[in-house]
Amino acid sequence: MTHTEPSAGVQAAIDGLAARFGSRLSRAEAVRAQHGAVESWLPQALPDAVLFLQSTEEVAEAVALCHRHGAPVIPFGAGSSIEGQVLAPRGGISFDLSGMDKVLAVNAEDMDCNVQCGVIHQNLNEHLRATGLFFPVDLGAHATLGGMASTRASGTTTVRYGSMRELVLGLTVVMPDGQVIRTGGRARKSAAGYDLTHLFVGAEGTLGIITEVTLRLFGRPEASRSILCAFEDLPSATTCVVAALQSGLGLNRIELADTLQMQAINAHGGVALPERPTLWVELTGSAPAVAHDAALFVELAQGSGALHVEAADNHEAANRLWRLRHNALYATRALRPGIKGISTDVCVPISRLPDCIAEIRAEIDKTDLIAPLIGHAGDGNFHLVLMFDPDDAQETAVARQINARLIAIALAMGGTATGEHGVGLGKMGYMQAEHGAALDVMRQIKRALDPSGIMNPGKIFTL
Amino acid sequence: MTAHDALSALLGDRFTTAQAHRAAHAQSETHVTGGLPDAVAYPETTAEVADLMRICAAHRLPVIGWGAGTSLEGHALALHGGVTVDFTRMDRVLDIRAEDMLVRVQPGITREALNRDLRATGLFFPVDPGANASLGGMAATRASGTTAVRYGTMRDAVLGLEVVLADGTVIRTGSAAPKSAAGYDLTALFVGSEGTLGLITELTLRLHGQPEAVSAAVCGFATMAQTVDCVIETIQSGLPMARIEFLDPAAVAACNAYSGQTLAETPLLLVEFHGTPASVAEQAARFGEIAQSHGSTGFRWAEQPEDRSALWKMRHAAYPACLAARPGATAIVTDVCVPISQLAQAVEETRADIAASGIPGPILGHVGDGNFHAILLIDPHSPEDRATAKALAARMATRALRLGGTVTGEHGIGIGKLGYMAQEHGAAWPVMGALKTALDPLNLLNPGKLVPPHDA
Repeated sequence: MTHTEPSAGVQAAIDGLAARFGSRLSRAEAVRAQHGAVESWLPQALPDAVLFLQSTEEVAEAVALCHRHGAPVIPFGAGSSIEGQVLAPRGGISFDLSGMDKVLAVNAEDMDCNVQCGVIHQNLNEHLRATGLFFPVDLGAHATLGGMASTRASGTTTVRYGSMRELVLGLTVVMPDGQVIRTGGRARKSAAGYDLTHLFVGAEGTLGIITEVTLRLFGRPEASRSILCAFEDLPSATTCVVAALQSGLGLNRIELADTLQMQAINAHGGVALPERPTLWVELTGSAPAVAHDAALFVELAQGSGALHVEAADNHEAANRLWRLRHNALYATRALRPGIKGISTDVCVPISRLPDCIAEIRAEIDKTDLIAPLIGHAGDGNFHLVLMFDPDDAQETAVARQINARLIAIALAMGGTATGEHGVGLGKMGYMQAEHGAALDVMRQIKRALDPSGIMNPGKIFTL
Repeated sequence: MTAHDALSALLGDRFTTAQAHRAAHAQSETHVTGGLPDAVAYPETTAEVADLMRICAAHRLPVIGWGAGTSLEGHALALHGGVTVDFTRMDRVLDIRAEDMLVRVQPGITREALNRDLRATGLFFPVDPGANASLGGMAATRASGTTAVRYGTMRDAVLGLEVVLADGTVIRTGSAAPKSAAGYDLTALFVGSEGTLGLITELTLRLHGQPEAVSAAVCGFATMAQTVDCVIETIQSGLPMARIEFLDPAAVAACNAYSGQTLAETPLLLVEFHGTPASVAEQAARFGEIAQSHGSTGFRWAEQPEDRSALWKMRHAAYPACLAARPGATAIVTDVCVPISQLAQAVEETRADIAASGIPGPILGHVGDGNFHAILLIDPHSPEDRATAKALAARMATRALRLGGTVTGEHGIGIGKLGYMAQEHGAAWPVMGALKTALDPLNLLNPGKLVPPHDA
């Protein structure tokens, strides 16, 4: 999408913001480009200006000003989202909130904390180290907690602790007219009215800007044990996952890779693991519980026909196993140097996982596309990294077609187009099929809370 | 055609204006009263609910959902007349998916009936508010109960819904996938909306494996502070308690009298652990150590199923036990929830306040969540009692908000707590009002509840 000159309203907003915020409003091409491009299917779409903000009050003031002029506002955290959530297809002002990076309060007794939206999740955990507590949502990217809340992010430990949906207790939100509200609170539960917190979690900045997040924290587990096991085929691996989930084992992570992914890992990591569907498992808890659960898991794996079971006896061996998992994306990229690939993100009921994967694999096998699979098996969420050359129109068309086909398969199985990456611009086209008449309810909500339509316009759905 | 004729044509004798049916749906289990529906409908399918809603919308008739009638804040009372939709005939389990640990149910099924149907699967539905409530009602009020500390509330348990909107449109929210990042979380919006945004006609619920082993214990403490410190340390050490319940000395006395127990009348904790035999034994031992380090007395394990069930029966009978402590009394039940670090202070201040009031008010609570209830026992014929109790409840609500909490942890707003919404939510309350107006512009769904009144 090309967008060259600001509209009159945006220009007025820029003038007003420049007068108020001085050099913290930037119109430099490089800064705009940095806030208007992502690694995805999507072409870059630059904002007209980028505003660097430091506090809820500043955000409120700036939003009120943009509201007066009808200028689009696009919240920006670390820019690590992958569906174009931060792009500015209609121009407007990108609000860079990365400077709002203070941990405001840690309440160890209540096991919660309150942070500004720009805090990076890894930095929060660094900050918490001395308390014995940690924040469990673990995704590879250096994402901000505000952005993670806005996209309802999750990751490898969701099987144990849940996604941002389960972990956000309350929010401070700047509404589209600049009014500041608090949602939720510090009580562990509440039945007091509509759950506004969970309306803003996952709204991708289309209803307001999250400026503070109250999060649940957890005690660091006393012990952990990691196990890698390979199976003859995918159904055997998922049978093992289902058994482990039903037995209530202390699963902290249960990750799945397919044969192609394992071939890539062997080639890239210089290891010789079985080139078969593989699970990485981490069990955490008290030392006796972990020992018990690990033994039971190995039994379940063998009962499901595991060909190879490797339990890490010490911390170092465990790290070695998990490094292979964490480097999976690099291993994938090495399959086709120069190509970064785009990740799919469907999520299905676990019982449908083998069928879902088999159906799309059959489709992929009819093409030349390379697409290894890695996934959060405990959540029924997996990613195929589609390795295509975005400059090659035909390859791009094939990759798009596989992505669309995969989403159709997942929806037919009662699943969702996106388990954790969100909708942004990239998945908008699938929302009608996924939500049907409920999409209109989302539109009604959007119109009610943002009647002038300035908050991250054109994302999730068209109005 | 009149609304009456249209609804009769739709539902036959399952639509009634008989006084007995209307009166039966104008009652609540607590002090909250008022409102008589003009008629009661007993639909059997989603399609009937949608048709009913369209007819009522065309005739501008209020529609009030009704499950088991166990809500405590007058949620289901027909303040402005209209049609009460009784879901008791929509009580089927539609689909059990054991591998996915999911179940799809109609809203009228009660949680006890659901768990009976699940028994053979090795799975169970954990949310346990005590009352044998309907699942639709539990979702509508974001209910929880004794097991929320381990398994969460209805917010965590509901994966998806089918909802009939104010214009009769049927939508589905959520999916059968364990998580999703696809757009607004409408499921979470309808859970806890108390029938003001739509009528829940189907629920997809998350299930859990029946624990292989269960153990329970009871122990007393000299002070409330010691009790809470014990709970905080237990939670921080990551011990996965399935339940941890608190009773104050007055509640223990009431339970002793009612259930024939002989527990020491001190602040008391009841705990339960779920897991494998080995993990339960280990957790129990560690809890015992923690409790002892906080000065616990009268520590007793209930390892036999019959001892355990006697303990929990006593806990679940605490409400009638408290009522029996003052014969002829009716109760005003409070429901504040505070950060756990503030719990000892909240309970101590509340106890002193109750003691000074002259009204009996045993306290019990879901201490792991920071949620507690005072059962304020009033003479239903005494306006003074009622005024005193209401003033006590109001001070408890203000106290909870001052301590960073909420006026209702699990009972919801209904009529009883509407007066605290502005105080609790400030500028966020009108946002709720804006959502209500957007989804129910004619204000037909359970009018007079939850959102700012139209003339405000």
